[in-house]
Amino acid sequence: MASSSSSGLTFKLHPLVILNISDHYTRVKSQSQSQSPPSAVNGGETTSPPPRVFGCVIGVQSGRTVEIFNSFELLYYPSTNSLDRSFLEKKQELYKKVFPNFYILGWYSTGSEAEESDMHIHKALMDINESPIYVLLSPSINHAQKDLPVTIYESELHVIDGIPQLIFVRSSYTIETVEAERISVDHVAHLKPSDGGSAATQLAAHLTGIHSAIKMLNSRIRVLHHYLLAMQKGDIPCENSLLRQVSSLLRRLPAIESEKFQDDFLTEYNDTLLISYLAMLTNCSSSMNELVDKFSTAFEKHIIRGGRTAFF
Amino acid sequence: MNLNMNSVESVVAQIQGLSSSADDVTHLHGLLKQSEELLQSESTRLAPFLAELDPSKHSLGYLYILEACTAAPNAKEQANELVLSIARFLNDCAAEQIRLAPDKFVSVCKRFKDQVMLLETPMRGVAPLLTAIRKLQPSSEHLTSLHPDFLLLCLLAKCYKTGLCVLEHDIFEVDQPRDFFLYCYYGGMICIGQKRYRKALELLHNVVTAPMSTINAIAVEAYKKYILISLIHLGQFSTSLPKYASSVAQRNLKNFSQPYIELVTCYVNGKISELEAYVQANREIFEIDRNLGLVKQVVSSMYKRNIQRLTQTYLTLSLQDIANTVQLNSPKEAEMHVLQMIQDGEIYATINQKDGMVRFLEDPEQYKTCEMIERIDSSIQRIMALSKKLTAMDEHMSCDSQYLAKAGRERQRFDFDDFDTVPQKFNI
Repeated sequence: MASSSSSGLTFKLHPLVILNISDHYTRVKSQSQSQSPPSAVNGGETTSPPPRVFGCVIGVQSGRTVEIFNSFELLYYPSTNSLDRSFLEKKQELYKKVFPNFYILGWYSTGSEAEESDMHIHKALMDINESPIYVLLSPSINHAQKDLPVTIYESELHVIDGIPQLIFVRSSYTIETVEAERISVDHVAHLKPSDGGSAATQLAAHLTGIHSAIKMLNSRIRVLHHYLLAMQKGDIPCENSLLRQVSSLLRRLPAIESEKFQDDFLTEYNDTLLISYLAMLTNCSSSMNELVDKFSTAFEKHIIRGGRTAFF
Repeated sequence: MNLNMNSVESVVAQIQGLSSSADDVTHLHGLLKQSEELLQSESTRLAPFLAELDPSKHSLGYLYILEACTAAPNAKEQANELVLSIARFLNDCAAEQIRLAPDKFVSVCKRFKDQVMLLETPMRGVAPLLTAIRKLQPSSEHLTSLHPDFLLLCLLAKCYKTGLCVLEHDIFEVDQPRDFFLYCYYGGMICIGQKRYRKALELLHNVVTAPMSTINAIAVEAYKKYILISLIHLGQFSTSLPKYASSVAQRNLKNFSQPYIELVTCYVNGKISELEAYVQANREIFEIDRNLGLVKQVVSSMYKRNIQRLTQTYLTLSLQDIANTVQLNSPKEAEMHVLQMIQDGEIYATINQKDGMVRFLEDPEQYKTCEMIERIDSSIQRIMALSKKLTAMDEHMSCDSQYLAKAGRERQRFDFDDFDTVPQKFNI
């Protein structure tokens, strides 16, 4: 069920929706994991499929632009393969009071692909919105993937094997942000590096980036070095064009070789080292201070009345 | 478990049988503790049994028998063989086994030291005691009772460098205060012998400011040396001890070292002749304290101090003027002194021999060499290790029951959640 949509609608998705769906999924997953006792038999891997969560997306449709602002959760009944209708209507009323412009635009779910059973829910929503949108979030973490794992499906009537059927077709979308959303997303993105490493601050992330770049450079130089050694020993036939390339590369380095550069470089290096030494000294003296405070609290024979604060 | 151990032979057999694995050794330890009286009673007969045991495999048993053996006072003729056998044991024994009976080990080592001193050959005891310390210490941060004995032997044998290698490791855990006092005092003396005045000052400072409930002789002697080293190394001395020194020390130490305090006042005045006169007058006092050598060094450091004072006033000075200001006899002596100071790194200057002028310079360190990088790097590493130690101690202290009791009590009064309009203070 895939070809791109031909309805000509442009979709704008707000980050809040993505965060809501992701949060919903994470909560349900961790709750279900904590409830079922860990009785995994095969090596600690959970074999049960990740739970699917469902909800509604709301927003504004003006002309050909559909802007999805917000979302809320819904309960799913697997027995009837439908969503909780009464709750949906109650929520719709509440949202109407606060955001009079927002309509129910569709629904969302998690999973890697849209399934056949989803069409049932989709049709059920058609009486609220004649062409609802299906937002699908794929919760599997794939580091190689650079795009967002969010797809928006529309339903179209296609004739397949002579039978007109509703199928899901993909639509493209753009991310639209309000200022508040931009600030918060920016904040989170800067604090946590994208590869999920343990560096907690911006400086550490920056330095980790530089470190990995230098590591890559080092490994590449080592490869070249081994290659040249092998060529010298005679294991590999001499290739003059490669040698020419290596020689031209080497002639480009070092970029600066003067005495003054050495002086300035070493001075700056020393300055940085001295600053970090000073920082460590300050750190040490502050921990020493705390230790001494604790020690005197614990072992002091007389307590000064009223002179001590509770904030060390 | 109460075997019939009524003969030394059976004890020896048990030792030989039960020395292979760790569980056996603990079992053996229990048995040995029970048969201690038996061993003590038979102490005269025990020497031949030692030959049946191997010190490296049966260390614990060997230790017990050796300890019982040496308990009896013996004559000087036997001292030599005793020294040899104990030295062999100390070199060969297994560290894990002897750590089960540390006090016995310490008493054997102390007797060893006594024998060595009896023979007046302290040099023979240095190396075995060094290995003994390394085997007894759970880690290099622990102070054992053997440290002061070892340092004493080093001092008597004049093996200062060996003593220094033990002093390099900082001590963080101390069992007995007396060990600590002696260790720091002897350590200070060894550092003085090696002319490492900064470390000596640090060690003597530790003795003087260590917590003590009553004044003790070690602290008094250490205080006298502390004054002298402070004059030699720093050129000044303040008679007030820091706040963390015990009140006992703060009140009483000064009374016991009155002549030294007066020496300080003489020194600060800056007149060599007065200083020398004072030293001459109180020569016997300094001799009794065995500090005369140090006092003479104080006098010679006076010249250095004066020359250094000159660097702060003049940019160039002639050798003749230096000799006159510092009260040296001739420009030649002044030149020798200045040259020595330049070589030691205490002063930055150049001597122009043609016209006899000395030009004083600034510190030429530009902080742009690779050696400086390595120095700073090693300092950073040291301080990182220290920081880890401090955080560990901090956590340890936070879990301490006494601290939690007192901190909990204090917090209740100022808890924000309990604040109501009437401050609690007025409710009492």
